[in-house]
Amino acid sequence: MSDEEDKKMIDIYVMGRRYKVPEGLTIMTALEYSGYKYVRGCGCRGGFCGACSTVYRKEGEYKLKMDLACQTAVEDGMFLVQLPFVPAVRKGFEIEDVDPKQNDNVLLEKYPEIARCVSCNTCTKACPQDIKVMDYVQASLRGDVDRAAKLSFDCIQCGLCSIRCPADIKHYHLAQLARRIKGRYIDLESSELAKMVEELQEGKYDEELNKLCSMSKEELKKVYDERTFQKEG
Amino acid sequence: MITMDGYLYYPGCTLKTKASDYEESAMAVMDALGKPLVEMEDWYCCGAVQSLTTDDLMHQLAPIRTMCCAQEEGENELVTLCDMCYNVLKQANKRIKDNPDDLETINEFQDEDPDYLGDVEVYHLFEVLKEMKKEIKKKVVKDLSSLKIAPYYGCMLLRPTEIAVDDTEDPKIMEELIGLTGAAVIDNPKKTECCGSYHTVNRGDIVEKRVKEIVGRAVEDDVDMIVLSCPLCQFNLEYHQRVTDFDVPVLYLTELLAIAFGLEVGLKKHKIDPIKKLKEKDILE
Amino acid sequence: MSDGYPEYMRRSIEKVEATRENRADIDFERMKPEESQETLDNFHPDYRKEGKHELKVGPSKGELAPIELAELLESPSIIDPSEIDLSQVDYDVEILIVGGGGAGTVAALWAIKEGIDPKDILIATKLRHGDSNSMMAQGGIQAADKEVDSPVTHYLDAIGGGHYTNEPDLLKALTKDAPEIIKWHEKLGIMYDRDEKGEFVELPGGGTSRYRLHSAGDYTGMELMRVLMDESRNKGVPVLEFAPAVELLTDEKGNVSGALLMNLETNEYYVVRAKSTIMATGGFGRLHVQSYPTSNHYGATADGLIMGYRVGIPLRDMDSVQYHPTGAAFPDQVIGLLVTEKVRSLGGQPVNADGELFVNPLEPRDVEAAAIIRECYGREKGITTPTGMRGVWLDSPLIDFKEGEGTVAKRLPAMVRQYERFNIDMTKDPILVFPTLHYQNGGLMINSDSSTAVDGLFAAGEVSGGVHGKNRLMGNSLLDFNVFGRRAGITAAMHARKGQKPSKLTLDHLTKYNKELKDAGIERKNPSPMLLPEYRGKRVLERHLDVQVTL
Repeated sequence: MSDEEDKKMIDIYVMGRRYKVPEGLTIMTALEYSGYKYVRGCGCRGGFCGACSTVYRKEGEYKLKMDLACQTAVEDGMFLVQLPFVPAVRKGFEIEDVDPKQNDNVLLEKYPEIARCVSCNTCTKACPQDIKVMDYVQASLRGDVDRAAKLSFDCIQCGLCSIRCPADIKHYHLAQLARRIKGRYIDLESSELAKMVEELQEGKYDEELNKLCSMSKEELKKVYDERTFQKEG
Repeated sequence: MITMDGYLYYPGCTLKTKASDYEESAMAVMDALGKPLVEMEDWYCCGAVQSLTTDDLMHQLAPIRTMCCAQEEGENELVTLCDMCYNVLKQANKRIKDNPDDLETINEFQDEDPDYLGDVEVYHLFEVLKEMKKEIKKKVVKDLSSLKIAPYYGCMLLRPTEIAVDDTEDPKIMEELIGLTGAAVIDNPKKTECCGSYHTVNRGDIVEKRVKEIVGRAVEDDVDMIVLSCPLCQFNLEYHQRVTDFDVPVLYLTELLAIAFGLEVGLKKHKIDPIKKLKEKDILE
Repeated sequence: MSDGYPEYMRRSIEKVEATRENRADIDFERMKPEESQETLDNFHPDYRKEGKHELKVGPSKGELAPIELAELLESPSIIDPSEIDLSQVDYDVEILIVGGGGAGTVAALWAIKEGIDPKDILIATKLRHGDSNSMMAQGGIQAADKEVDSPVTHYLDAIGGGHYTNEPDLLKALTKDAPEIIKWHEKLGIMYDRDEKGEFVELPGGGTSRYRLHSAGDYTGMELMRVLMDESRNKGVPVLEFAPAVELLTDEKGNVSGALLMNLETNEYYVVRAKSTIMATGGFGRLHVQSYPTSNHYGATADGLIMGYRVGIPLRDMDSVQYHPTGAAFPDQVIGLLVTEKVRSLGGQPVNADGELFVNPLEPRDVEAAAIIRECYGREKGITTPTGMRGVWLDSPLIDFKEGEGTVAKRLPAMVRQYERFNIDMTKDPILVFPTLHYQNGGLMINSDSSTAVDGLFAAGEVSGGVHGKNRLMGNSLLDFNVFGRRAGITAAMHARKGQKPSKLTLDHLTKYNKELKDAGIERKNPSPMLLPEYRGKRVLERHLDVQVTL
C-alpha cells in the first residue's frame, strides 16, 4: 500500500483499544492492518460463511449493531468486538423420520422453545443477511415448513440471531431443519434425474464413454470442435 | 360495518393446524357468499394467553405487530375466526387505542420497524356473517330441519364485555345464524359456561367435570350436535367426552353452514365423527 | 440509482446504457481456436514463463510450478522431526480426514455408509468445519440429467475446456457419477432450484454445450455445505476444529500412518494414528500467485500439497492456475471476491469502457479471462478505478432487461446483497470486474478410486489433480468434491477394514526430504505449511517482536 499516507486515517476501538487505520478498509482488513492475525473470526472473507460476526457500537449512539467483519467498511469511532463462536445446541435427527406428512409439527417438536417467541423482532434486526428471522420462527410455530425454508434460505449460520434472542431460540438450527424437510419432502422429485440414474445403472453410456476415454487428442479435438450448442433451456 | 369486497383475514396458529376444518369451511362459505377471506401476507402468533396474564405492556407486542402487518398491507379492518385470537387481538388493540402512552411505548420499542397508528379494527367472522343473513339464506341448498343443535359460546367471544361480539349474558348471534339453515336451535342454558380452557394441559379432571355438565345438558336435551367457533372449546368438548358415554359431535358454525350450502369441506379432524350422525339423518350420502 | 460510483465512472456507465438495447440479442461469435490460443499466449497470466519455477526436489522434480508454491515446496517443514515425541497417541482412528470442507465431509458420510462407525472417524480441520472454498461456490453443480444431455456430452465439454489434458479415468468417474450424486442430494434434502413439476432449472456455464448447471440461488455451495455438515452432525462424526495437520506420519515402509496436528490456539500438537488418511485440504488461492487478488477462503494455503508432496505423491498440472474471469474490481473492499459466472449464464455481458461487447460471455474460463485482460491492458479499453485497478463492466442490468424485472434480485440474491452494502445496485448499474485467482486446476495425483501412490493416503477435492486437466469448467468443482469425496470415503473405508493398525509412527520422510533439500543446495527461509496467510499491516510487522513465549 504505497498510497497509505494519502489516505484519511480514522479511529477504531478493538475491544476498547484505539487504533488509527486508513479509511476504506473493511472491519476485517482494518483489524489486520492494526496487527491482529486471525485464527478464529475469519473464514471465507466473502460473506458466505458466518465466521466473522462482529458486534459494534458507534461513539455517541445508543444502538448495538451487528454485521460481518469482511463485508462492512470501518467507520470513525467504532467500538468493535468479534463473536467467533455461538453456543447453540442443535437437535439431531434422521432425515427419514421428519416427513411432515407423518408428523404434526416436527419443528415445534424438536425446538419447543419457539413457542416462547414474544415477537420482539430482535433476531431480524441482528441478521447481517437481512433475513426476516422472526417471521420464519413464526411460520415454524404454525408448521409452515415451506415458508420457513424459503424465508431462511440466505442464512449463513453466523448465530447472531440466537445470541440476541430473549426467548433462547436456536433460530439457525431450526431453519436448517426446515430447509432439509422442504428439500426432501415438500419439493417434488425430478423424474428426469431418476430416468438418467436408471439408464446409468443399466450401463447405457459406458460404451460411448469408454470410446472417448481411449481417443487421441486429435480425435477428441475434432469431436469437440463439432459440438452443437443447446440454444434454450 | 365492513364494506370491502372481501376480508383481510388473520388465521392464528391453531387454524393452520388442529382447527384446519374451521378455516377450510369458513373460507369455502365466504367464497360462496362472494366475500372471500384473504389471508394476510405476514402475521404473527396472537400472543395467546401470554398477553392476558399480566399487565406487562410488552406482552402486547405480538398482537400489535399483526396490526402493523395489516396496516402495511394498506388495510384497516381485520377478520379472525379463532375466539382466542379474536379476544387477544381485540383486547390488545383496544388497550393500545385507549392508552396513547402505551401505543407510544410499543412503537418506541419496535424501533426502526414501522409504527402502529392505531387505525386497525378487529372483527370476528360472526360479526361479518350477521350482516349477510339474506345472502346466507339464499345459499342454503340442504334441508337441515331434522337436526337439533345446541349453540355454545364459551368465554372468549363474550368476555370482557367491552370486546364481546354480542350480549355477554344472553347472546343470540349464533342462534340467528344457525336458524338460517333451517336446523332446530335449542335454548342452551350452558352456552356461556367455561369449557375448562387450558386446564386441559395438566388438569384434565377439571375439564372433564365441565364437559360432563355442558355436553350432559345437551344430551338431556337430545341434541344432535353442538355448534361453536372456538378451537380450544371444540377440542375440549369432543376429546373429554372419552370419559363419558356421550357421543355428541361438536362442529364449527362454518362447518354447519358449509353442509347447508352443499360444500364438501371440513369434518376431517373430529374426535367424534359427525359424518355418521349426518348420514343417519340423510343429510350426507 | 446507486451512488456508489464516482462521477467519471458513471459517464462510462452511460455509454453502457446507451448500447444495451442493441447488444441485447447479439450472439457474439466464439473465438476460433487460433485466436483463443493467441489471446491466451499473450494475456493469460499462466502463459507468462517468468511466473514459473522448475522444481528441484521431490517426486515431481523437473516439473514447473508457480514460484509462490515452489518456494513453499522447497522449504523445510515448520516442525523439526527430532523434537517431536510420537510415542503417545492422542487419537487412534480408522480414518483420519484432513480438512473439513466439501470433500472431507462427503468422505466421512460415505465411509459411514461403507460400514465405518462414525466415532472411528476424525475430521481435523484448520478453521471451522465447513470453512472452505466449497462454501463459497455460487454458480452451481454440473450433472447431465436432461433428455438432450448425457455424461458423454459432459465428458466432451470438460475435456475440451481442459485442453485435452484431463485424466480420462478421472473425468469418466466425474461425469458418470454426477447424476447419482444429485440423487443423493435430493434424498439429503438439498434445496435445488426446480420448476413446478419438480424438474431442475438448469443453466449453461462457460464452455458447456448444454444447460446442465444445477443451482440453489447463488448460494449453491453454501446450501450443499450446510446440508452436508448437518448430516455429518446427525451421524456424530467427531470434528477437531482449529487443529490443522502440519505433517503426515509414516510407518517403517513409508506408508502413511496418520498425521501430526496442531492446536492453533494453544500451539500443542496431537498425534493421530489412522489406518487410512484422506487429504482434503483444498487449494492455494491465498498464495496470491503473480500477485493476483483471490476469491478463495482464508485457509486456502496449499498445506495438503506440501504435506502430500513431502510424503511422495507427485503433483500434476501445477503450472496451470485458474483465474476466474470476473472477480470484483470495485469498490476496494471487495476486490478479488467472486462475481459468479451465473451472471453471464443468465445473460450478463462483459463490455468495455465504451459500452462495446468484446467477447462471447460464455467462453471457457481461461479464454474469457484472457479476453478481459486483453481489453484492459492490450486494447486499453478498460475502466481504471480511483486506486488504479483496471476492469471491464459486467452488464448485469441486461439480465432484467431481457428476462424481466426482478430476475437479478431473485436469481442472484447474494451478489445483490454484497453490492448493496457498498451502495451499488447491480440490478440498475453494471459492476466492474477483472480476473481473480480462483482455482488450483492441478494437485496431488490420484487414481480413480481416490487412492494415491503411497499406501494409506487418499485424496479428494481441490487438493487433487487430473480431473480438470489444465482448466476446470464452471460447476465441475462442487461435483468434483462430491464424486471424489465419496470415492475417497469408500476406498479409505475398505482399506481400513482390511488393514492392521499401523505399527509405527515416524517422521522419517521429513528427515529424508530435508536431506534432499540440503543436497540440492536449497536454503529457503519460509518454512511450510503456511497454515495462515499474512495480512498484518507493514508498519506493525516491522516493529513486531517475533518471539515464542514458552510457559
